[in-house]
Amino acid sequence: MFGWLERNPFFFAVGVFVVIAFAGLIEIVPDFAQQSRPVAGAKPYDLLRLAGRQVYIKDSCNACHSQLIRPFKIETDRYGMYSLNGEYAYDRPFLWGSKRTGPDLHRVGNYRTSDWHANHMWDPTSVVPGSIMPAYKHMFTNVTDLETAYAEALTVKKVFNVPYDKDIDGDGKIDVPLGSFEEAKQRALQDALKIAQETKRKDLVEMVKAGKIPEIVALIAYLNGLK
Amino acid sequence: MNWLSDNVNQLALLGAAAILILTIGVAAKYFKQIKEGKSEGELKEENWDGIGEYKNNSPIGWSLAFIGTIIWGVWYWLVGYPLNAYSQIGEYNEEVKSYQAKFESKWANPSKEDLLGMGEGVFLVQCSPCHGIDATGIEGKAQDLTRRFVSKSQVLDVIKRGSAALGNPNGQLGYQLGMMPPGLLSGADAEAVATYVANGFKGNNKGAELFQSACASCHGPDGRGMNGMAPNLREYDDPIISHVLQHGKQGIIGIMPSFKGRLTKVQERAVAAYIRSLSE
Repeated sequence: MFGWLERNPFFFAVGVFVVIAFAGLIEIVPDFAQQSRPVAGAKPYDLLRLAGRQVYIKDSCNACHSQLIRPFKIETDRYGMYSLNGEYAYDRPFLWGSKRTGPDLHRVGNYRTSDWHANHMWDPTSVVPGSIMPAYKHMFTNVTDLETAYAEALTVKKVFNVPYDKDIDGDGKIDVPLGSFEEAKQRALQDALKIAQETKRKDLVEMVKAGKIPEIVALIAYLNGLK
Repeated sequence: MNWLSDNVNQLALLGAAAILILTIGVAAKYFKQIKEGKSEGELKEENWDGIGEYKNNSPIGWSLAFIGTIIWGVWYWLVGYPLNAYSQIGEYNEEVKSYQAKFESKWANPSKEDLLGMGEGVFLVQCSPCHGIDATGIEGKAQDLTRRFVSKSQVLDVIKRGSAALGNPNGQLGYQLGMMPPGLLSGADAEAVATYVANGFKGNNKGAELFQSACASCHGPDGRGMNGMAPNLREYDDPIISHVLQHGKQGIIGIMPSFKGRLTKVQERAVAAYIRSLSE
């Protein structure tokens, strides 16, 4: 029966691959398909947060900060509930990070506030003495690139069917509206104004009122949403 | 020959001798086979370019191991893996459970020194990023915890807006006496009480009088909150620390997030004891 396989090394190799891959397929694929679904309550990033996420990536926050709380008591005591796969469902790419020079940020929105972030990013040692984090003062003057963030949101909405403009939790309301660029921008400006006021910095409030969102405001919106 | 009295050494020696004898015996057998052995047995039908192969039954040990593996595989597939699979979360849950049990039994009756030590540790990790390592609130960025009230304006804000000034959730901290209505006093009266309270219940006779008529029914005549029925206005006692940690707070300085579920009861008491020790 297998004499035929012994005479055809190519099909023999294919057979070997199928046999070996089978165990992996039945153990990995069904679990992965289930675990990678969004957890209940997971929502895609709104425009301001997505812009903040791009700032986070642009300034390589993920080089020093992880976003993955492992299920160890020492970690959950400090950072909160351990991370679940489905929480990253709308992260493209996910920002687990590989190294903690600074603390984990996956649930930083639970225990830090807008004004704290503003103080900290302006001068880290003013709130955390001995911190080796550099100051990010340029974020207070750089203007957020909302166009790119909108392009990303629209792309994932159309290509990956990310549920923007949809009722996710079934309460009859649209959970994360996106709409046209102008609509999304107006919404982002409203959210940004609230955060700018929370930081108690007049320069940020004025910039937002003039229709420009400083990068720091978008970044704080993103960090506050990490829960 | 003292070392021979040790039975592990005896066993090792016996083992070495057995290996030596077996090696020599097996080697001798194969040498003999190479010298004298002749090919025998029945050839299989297939041959490859004239090279044939004898029919060989598979060895019994090998066959048993093969069948045994199949049986084990079926068992592992249906019973072994589904019922005994390792779970990282399961291990985490057990770790937390055993740690909590140990923690609770160890700190069932903590002394004052224990509480202060634990409180300082918790404070440095959880509270100091906003309130500062010395708890003075980093130049007004957060509440100065070495004093009960930082300023008159803080008291005034609460008198004017009621406990809604604390923001969270729905404007109260979950005290038994419920919410404080806005505008119990106004104008100069409010100023007088605010000065009196912010000064640590000293001076200002008019403020003292007004406090007794307007505030004492809930906060108590001494302003200590009647054993946790309402917020203690003199010091950070256990109930007020616990309530603020549970509910968070939104005062005129800014927002404090809730720390619900992050600290145990003992840790909350420890933080309260540590904070009280700062103003002593």
